[in-house]
Amino acid sequence: MMSPLIFLHAIVGEIGLFAFLWVLIEMLNPTETRIKRAKIVAVIGVVCLLIAWVAGGFYYVNTYGDVVKPTIKESDFKWAHSIVMETKEHVFLFMPILALLVTSLLWRYDKELIKKRDARITIILLAGLIFLLGFAIAGMGAMIGAGYRMALEAGVI
Amino acid sequence: MNPRALVRSATIVMVLIAVFTIWSEMSGAIKWFFALASHHWIGKSVLSLVFFGLLYLAFAKGNDELSLKDTYWLLGSVVVSGLAIVIFYVWHFLR
Repeated sequence: MMSPLIFLHAIVGEIGLFAFLWVLIEMLNPTETRIKRAKIVAVIGVVCLLIAWVAGGFYYVNTYGDVVKPTIKESDFKWAHSIVMETKEHVFLFMPILALLVTSLLWRYDKELIKKRDARITIILLAGLIFLLGFAIAGMGAMIGAGYRMALEAGVI
Repeated sequence: MNPRALVRSATIVMVLIAVFTIWSEMSGAIKWFFALASHHWIGKSVLSLVFFGLLYLAFAKGNDELSLKDTYWLLGSVVVSGLAIVIFYVWHFLR
């Protein structure tokens, strides 16, 4: 059975990613109303990614290492931990910092974003990066889950 | 709030995360140091945030005019650091 923490990690993580896609779209042609909306959505996105960080981290430290990791490492699908999980857990650390940065820039520049092209493009590029990187990380999560299921089906335990 | 300092701090922290990751796999002493926070991943998580804050304070008094050049450095550091982590773990697995 899937841990509720993994469910929470995946759901809030994806809501966070879509929040930054929303920010990107609002910044393509900003008005005062769109900037106001983007600021609120970015805060929601940061909160979601922080919850995903804590929930995923709690599961990783308390359950994954004792249950999932040994099963995968004993199987023919070791790569699911040794390459994919190791990469995922470390590349994920980029996300909260990038999300905090985008949100801080939105609140700092506020209505100035209508005229400040460089700041606006920075927010667009970073929000797009958060969305793409986040879905690459979600894909890695799916690969780890598949590796664990294949290890169980192969009768490792 | 100094936006340029924020972007420059994030640029360096992305590189530091890759350095922490690779160094802790190569050195037992470094992994032990990060694990002082109960788990090496928690240690890296906390230290990345601490460094982000400290670097911001170090850069905060400088010029606050954000340019796209700063942004491109940040994007580059994310790509290079991310690739370094992936390539390192592939190499570590295959060796």
